[in-house]
Amino acid sequence: MVATASAWVSPPTRTPEIEKLVSGVDRYNPSNVGILEDYLYHQIRSEEYDCLANLAILKLYQFNPDLYNPDVVINILIKALTSSPFPDFNLCISLLDERPLNTNTDEPDPLPSLLPVLTTLYNLLQQCFEDSVREVVIRAVKAAFTRIGAERLGTYLDLSSAELDAHIEKLGWTIDSSTGVISIPPNPDNQIESTVVQENIQRHVSFTLWIEDSAS
Amino acid sequence: MSQQRKALWESDLEEDLQDVDLNLAIGNYGQNGYDDVQPRIDEATLLAVQQQMAQQAAFAQIPDVVKRFIVHFHQAVLENNLSEITVAYESGWNRLTEKFYSKTEWPEAEVIAPLVNDDQIFLILYRELYYRHVYSRLIPDIDDRFHSYENSCELFNYLLNSDGPVPLELPEQWLWDIIDEFIYQFQSFCVWRSKVKSKTDEELSMLAEGSQVWSSYSVLNVLYSLIQKSKINEHIIALREGKSAEEIPEIVGEYGTRPLYRMLGYFSIIGLLRVHSLLGDFTLALKVMENVELNQKSPFTRVTACHVTTYYYVGFCYIMLRRYTDALRAFVSILNFILRMRQYHTRSYQYDQARIPLKHIINKTADRMYALFAICNALSPTRLDDNISNIVKERYGEQFAKMSRGEEGIPAFEELFLYACPKFISANPPPYDDAELLGTHIEDPPVEPAQRHLALFLSEVRAQAPVPTLRSFLKLYTSLDAKKLANFLDADEEEMVQQMMVMKQASRSVSRVDNANGVLDGQMISTGDLDFVIDENMVHIAESTVGRRYAGWFIRNTEHAQRVFDTLRNSPLPIAPKPSAQKSSATSGAEAAPSAPRTSGQKVAWGGVKAA
Repeated sequence: MVATASAWVSPPTRTPEIEKLVSGVDRYNPSNVGILEDYLYHQIRSEEYDCLANLAILKLYQFNPDLYNPDVVINILIKALTSSPFPDFNLCISLLDERPLNTNTDEPDPLPSLLPVLTTLYNLLQQCFEDSVREVVIRAVKAAFTRIGAERLGTYLDLSSAELDAHIEKLGWTIDSSTGVISIPPNPDNQIESTVVQENIQRHVSFTLWIEDSAS
Repeated sequence: MSQQRKALWESDLEEDLQDVDLNLAIGNYGQNGYDDVQPRIDEATLLAVQQQMAQQAAFAQIPDVVKRFIVHFHQAVLENNLSEITVAYESGWNRLTEKFYSKTEWPEAEVIAPLVNDDQIFLILYRELYYRHVYSRLIPDIDDRFHSYENSCELFNYLLNSDGPVPLELPEQWLWDIIDEFIYQFQSFCVWRSKVKSKTDEELSMLAEGSQVWSSYSVLNVLYSLIQKSKINEHIIALREGKSAEEIPEIVGEYGTRPLYRMLGYFSIIGLLRVHSLLGDFTLALKVMENVELNQKSPFTRVTACHVTTYYYVGFCYIMLRRYTDALRAFVSILNFILRMRQYHTRSYQYDQARIPLKHIINKTADRMYALFAICNALSPTRLDDNISNIVKERYGEQFAKMSRGEEGIPAFEELFLYACPKFISANPPPYDDAELLGTHIEDPPVEPAQRHLALFLSEVRAQAPVPTLRSFLKLYTSLDAKKLANFLDADEEEMVQQMMVMKQASRSVSRVDNANGVLDGQMISTGDLDFVIDENMVHIAESTVGRRYAGWFIRNTEHAQRVFDTLRNSPLPIAPKPSAQKSSATSGAEAAPSAPRTSGQKVAWGGVKAA
């Protein structure tokens, strides 16, 4: 969970070399695409995430359609999916220009080639990424509940009772075994209070100016 | 006050305006009518002679006042006389355009070259204005589009690749307009280029060969080069770190110390913000702004158009990053600025005279931002600036009401988004260089960029479509059983709980905090005025309300008091009333309303109070 955007803008795991590519003009150099693609696979292996670096890959694809590599795009999209509810997925799609797939006439109709892509996406979501996706669910639950029934949480996470118990323990949540109700520790999102927003007046100078202005 | 002084050509212009000669305004270039009389001679010579004669004829057609204006303008540029350049640029050019060239091109640069001793640098600047005029008043043809690109390249080449910084000075407004126009022409070209069907054969072949003209890379290259050359980012950081006036020139180098490069660098950052937005890279658009501080003291506020553009694009990018609170804050800030500026400028005649186009652009952008404000406020309902909210209600009240009702409001979102979004472009041209691919492109055209971004935006809107209905129920309770709520909604309990989680996420967003580092930085906050939490099956609700606002009330009443005071002070002293008249009126009042003794005079009133 990225609570502050600064970790999203520049994750602590980003190396100086990548930082140079992300923030400098070298990001436009097509010959750097390999470095960024390797970095993507590194993120996948070590469960890191660097949205801006991945967007830089898509940027290179946008300007150089020849570089386009569907596998890389799919992996970027999956990575972005796991950061929901942040809009990373849509930010990535924005950069995929109107025709992401090569409309080379030698190739058959794009749909058959798209289908396996979608299937791969689905499979990947099932396999190696399921914990990342569970992260997304947990984020949503953590924000909305203080206590939740074990059965309900189990369906959300697609975990059976034994696995669920283990997962809950890992999260540091507690379960009341007699009622099957899980308590979620307090966090800023599940602690609510009514507030009264008071007006904050600071612009003494400009207010005075207005008065003079309209009075003159 | 340079504006007060009248330049020579200006007094000429005024005389001319008294006695308008329409024949001059329709100055054509005399390109027709020579072929018949010319004997058959060598074709090249013939062409050269023809061209020369055409130029002479065109030159003869230029009104004297325009010639004098050009000579004067050239002189001002040669002397780097900023105030004279400003007058010529902001007032003279526009007024002469109105009078002579409202429906036709200015004379071509080659034609006026003799007036300026063939000064190539001035001719580049002149062409910059010439093409800008073509784009804004006429319909540019493919030659205009290609040539304006070449001229921009020449201009930036001169600025970036001369030996050291060039000794030119131009007003800030013009420098902004150069960058602004460069991007506008790029965007206009991309839109025009994407329409394959309407192209003539000649255009098709030119587009097939000239794929580098107005390419995204070339445009970005110019902007990044200006930023690097001027070391503007280093400059901003140095200023923020409080570096001394001696240290800064060391940091920014020989280019960065010159106002021309500094401002071009600055405007190029804003230019990048805009180009990246047009290309759909909203993250990068905000990332390039990371050193720019968004406040009223920034250098970009000195040029109003730049100020307005910056906030429009920053606000729009925030929307696409689903940071509606940040977007709203940006719009409130700039729209209030525009309102105040309008109050101020209505009294300034110069603003109305010379800057009609600018005013038009600002009004249009402001209206777009009111529309975007309505969108954001519907998605993230909180009470905001009353001034702006009221104007939004006036202009977009109907759409706002629809958008606040979830799914059925989608067409209203669509309408306002398409009206208010930037003119998106695609990074790559249609495959003009490959006839076969071009054929498939025509048969099966890709989705237009604006439609793609609309679809993505609507997917975000749809995701939170159940929120308004839930909201309207939750507002009525402080706690409520989930089952009961599901019954109200006529929905399955499990489904409803999931919608509640959607609602929770919709009310959370990253938002900038006070000490934020750049426009992308921020922290997760709760954006809505209604929050809830589920304790197993019990929903607890908390609502934030806005306390009473005093500032506006005080301002209105202070103004009112000031007006009353002024009226009193300015009115003549009353003539002392005759004692008898007073007496009679007091008695008549008492007679007319005996039941209200307080109105009939002080003494009686006191008596009344005492008696009671």
